[in-house]
This record gives sequence, C-alpha cells and structure tokens, in this order.
Amino acid sequence: MKILFPVIALAAVFSIHSSTFAEDATNGVEKIDGFTDTPMEADGKWHVHDPNRPQPQVVTPGATFSQGASAPSDAEILFDGTGLAKWENNHGGDATWKTNGDYVETAPMGGGIRTRGKWADFQLHVEWATPNPPRGWSQGRGNSGILINNMYEVQVLDSYQAKTYADGQAGAIYGQSPPLVNTSKPPGEWQTYDIIFESPRWNEQGELIKKAIITVLHNGVVVQNRYELDGMTDGINSALPWKSLSKYPAPHTPEVFIELQDHKNPVRFRNIWIRSLHLGENL
Amino acid sequence: MNIKHILLPLCLALVSGCATKSLEQGAPVTQSQTISAATKPQEIVIDGVAGFQDTPMQPDGKWHVHDPARPQPPIVTPGTFSENATPPSDAIVLFDGTDLSQWVDKKNGGPVQWTVENGVAVSAKGDIQTTNQFGDIQLHLEFREPTPPQESGQGRGNSGVFFMGQYEIQVLDCYSNKTYADGATAGIYGQHPPLANACRPPGEWQTYDIIFNVPHFEATGELLSPGYVTVFHNGIVAQNHQAIRGATNWRVPGKYTPHGPTGPLALQYHNNSVSFRNIWVRPVPALNEP
Repeated sequence: MKILFPVIALAAVFSIHSSTFAEDATNGVEKIDGFTDTPMEADGKWHVHDPNRPQPQVVTPGATFSQGASAPSDAEILFDGTGLAKWENNHGGDATWKTNGDYVETAPMGGGIRTRGKWADFQLHVEWATPNPPRGWSQGRGNSGILINNMYEVQVLDSYQAKTYADGQAGAIYGQSPPLVNTSKPPGEWQTYDIIFESPRWNEQGELIKKAIITVLHNGVVVQNRYELDGMTDGINSALPWKSLSKYPAPHTPEVFIELQDHKNPVRFRNIWIRSLHLGENL
Repeated sequence: MNIKHILLPLCLALVSGCATKSLEQGAPVTQSQTISAATKPQEIVIDGVAGFQDTPMQPDGKWHVHDPARPQPPIVTPGTFSENATPPSDAIVLFDGTDLSQWVDKKNGGPVQWTVENGVAVSAKGDIQTTNQFGDIQLHLEFREPTPPQESGQGRGNSGVFFMGQYEIQVLDCYSNKTYADGATAGIYGQHPPLANACRPPGEWQTYDIIFNVPHFEATGELLSPGYVTVFHNGIVAQNHQAIRGATNWRVPGKYTPHGPTGPLALQYHNNSVSFRNIWVRPVPALNEP
C-alpha cells in the first residue's frame, strides 16, 4: 500500500502530459514505456501494459538453482543440444533455428518454433539467456516468450536493470500479471524457468469451467503463485490483437503445445524438458 | 479429560513412534476420534503396505486416514535440481551449516538438542522450531536419510517439516520402502499423498522447494480459506497448490483450529537421525499485488 499512493499520484500527473510514459517511481528520472489508452484490466486498477503499474521489487536470485537440472525419469526431453527433432516451425515444417553446442538460438524474423507433442497439465523446465552485450530497451531488449499453445505467454525479456511496463517484464504473464518480484540475471547468463501449468477446461456446452493456472519459479524465486489467467495473451496470435484485454479463446483440448517465440531478438534456450502431472482427482 | 492419558500408553506400545506426532499438537479431539483412539489401533498390511483402516474416512469418502489400500504414488527417478541452491537476496537463511541459533526446542523453548557437525544439522531428542514467525513463504531445504536404512514403513528416516508448527510435509525414506500413501515423503501427512515418489536413495541429499500459503479465518473463527502448499521434491512437483485440511496428525483427518497470520517453521524429531542443510525462506504473497 505504501508504494501505491505515490504511484497513483504520479499517474494522475503524467496522464495529463503523456499517455505512453511514466516516471520511474524509484528514481524519478528514468522513463518507463507503456500505454494508458488500453483497456482496463479486470481488477479495474491498471490499463493493459500500464507504465504506472508498480515495478516489481528487485530480488537478486541465488547464483545457482536448477541450472543444468537433469531430466527426471518420466520427463520428455524437448531439447538437450542434440537437434530439434521434437520441434517444428509454426507452419508445421521443420524447425530451422540454429543449434550451437548445448543451446538453440532464435532466428530473428524466422518465426517461432513449437513442439510436435502436446501435454495437458505439466511441469516444464527451460533455461534461457538474453544477448550480451544487451541491445535495445524495454520490449526490444532480449524479447522472446514461452507461448503455451501459442495462447498463454510467460514473458522472456532482459529485465536486468532494464525497465518496461510491469505486465511485460521477465516472469510476467504478458499483459496480465507482473512477476511478484524482478529476479532477473544479467544478460548472457543462463536463467531458469520452472513452470507448473494447468490447462483450461470447458464443458460440453462450451462454457469455461476451469481457467488456465500457472506457477512460475524464475531462477528459483516464485514469480507467479498459481495465477489464474484471464485468458489469452494479447498480440501473440491473430485471435487477440496486441494491447487488447485478455479473453479466453474458443474451447480447445487440454493438450497444448509449447512454442518459443521469435520476437526479432536473438535469445538462447537450452535444457528443455517437460513432464505430465496427471492431476486426476486434484484437477 | 486429558487425551494424553489415553494415548500415551497406546503410543508407547507401538513401534511406529507416534508419540511426538499425536501428543504435541494439542488439537481438539472430537467424539468419534476419542472413541477410535480409545480402541487399540489395528495396524494391517495390504500388499506389503502397513497402515490402518480403523481410522476415520478422508472427506473424499474413498480412503481411510493412513489407508494401506490407497494407491502408491508412482515412482519417478529425479534428476539433479536445486541442490546447494544459494539463497536469493530477500531470503532469511535459517541454517547455513554454522549453527542452529535461529531455532529453539519446540517443547520448552530452550536450546535445541540437535547436533551440528560438518555443516549438517542432525535431528535428535525433540522437535525444533524457528524463533521467527512466518506467513506465506517459499522454503528451500535439503535433507538426507540415514544409511544403511533401518526399520521400515514410518520407522525409516522419519522427520517432517511443519509450517506454522502444525501443517506437516512428511520427511521419510521412501526409497524402496513402502508406507501408507498419505504418509509418504512429500505427502501432506495423513491427508494427501504426493503426486509422485521422487525419493533418492538414503545417504543422498534431497531437496524440498515449497510454496506455503497460510489459512485464513473469520473473526468468528470460521475457516475463510484453507492453507495451500506446492512442493517440488528433488525438482518433481509432488503437491500442486494442494489445499490443506487442517493440522496434520496421526490417525485423524485434518482439523483447523483458528490461529493468527504467522507461525514458526518446525522440524520434527521422530526417533530417527535425519540430516538437514541449506535451509532458507523468503516471503511470497498469495497475490501479485496488495
């Protein structure tokens, strides 16, 4: 609550002068880009991609957590450096991102890659690194994403000492839920996501009966704690234009694929594995 | 009526060493529980799993508390995960191998009777709890079961992690050792089995990465929302935001007693020498924003 009042005051001041930038409440100098001409989020407090939404507190992650975690016995290894057989491009053809040693790098402007397999409720381990030296700023700095079913995005971005609107930071559910804290590592260092995802469910009448739910540990720090998604992420496919309010798509199967986003920046990924959760009675 | 006078002789008669689990919680006892406790517990064995079916039914109506017939969690061989994870900058380090100065004996508040040697704390003589009180937290903790293993079932490497001093995530050596499912490693004791058995062999370090959210009560004492727990055991999701049914206890389903927003973290001594290292917690709110 303490931080909220000055931020609201700032928001009031700057809405007169600008709809796209806010002063950084922490030092009053650095600009944060974003939008205030977008729809209000469901909570009624913030616009989609609102630059005035509080910046997550910075937490320096431990030097090590699950970097290099080897896959459990029931996991499917999606990428271990030995090729992209488990992946295709987002037109269904072979994935063409370049592998180098144990990692694969986005092919800027080459489109995303997605898994050939699908899973309903799952645990996903993935490691990523943004370019070093860093280039660009805000959403143009090491941008990629974990796009679940090309619908629900966990943002990948260089958010180390680099600001952008809160709901677009590393560890955010893009356009919806800022990370609980900003626990980014410096560009070039390997960062981990350990993700628990529960697929949304619809009944036979096509009514949503269970939202998509996600928990994310970023570098071992909880940044999403069983967040219930408001719907699809804006701007990652044609069904929901960028800067519009989240909503659920037409019903889809619980089994979903994983896509790694091409957002025009070279971002590296390694050590990707997934395991089904078989929630059964716990759904 | 002092339930301890009834339970104590019963517990002493059992090799399972239930005394610490049953007696120290002080949870209210209902009429039906009193009756079942007054009858000598009948341990039974089904398919090599020792447990009970003279216990109350779980709320789902399918299984008794500690039911040996409840399906065994599937065995998953873990990979490496967060061993030796260094704490984030906002963590409170509860044990880094130096000493147990942030802990006290749970029963009397005095000095802990556990030993610390070579950077490892070993359970002995009594439960311990933190001097700090915690609400919603993320916990990292590593434990190691004694080798060679001794005894079986609940008698093998038994300890536990108690959130707010009363909600237990079981610590047990379940590597090649069967026990009732709701008492398995990473289970919410007596309530909810782990989604998988991800135990490493005794003698190897194992990790818990746990997100715990406190239960909330109305001013009238009614439960507003239960506690929740998510557990990664050796990197495997063993509990996924699982609702806790109340204080965990031997042979009784969970039951809530209203309490405040914070409580101590406790580690159990359950007649076995279990080792611990690298324990840290950090606050983690249930919601993203206030």
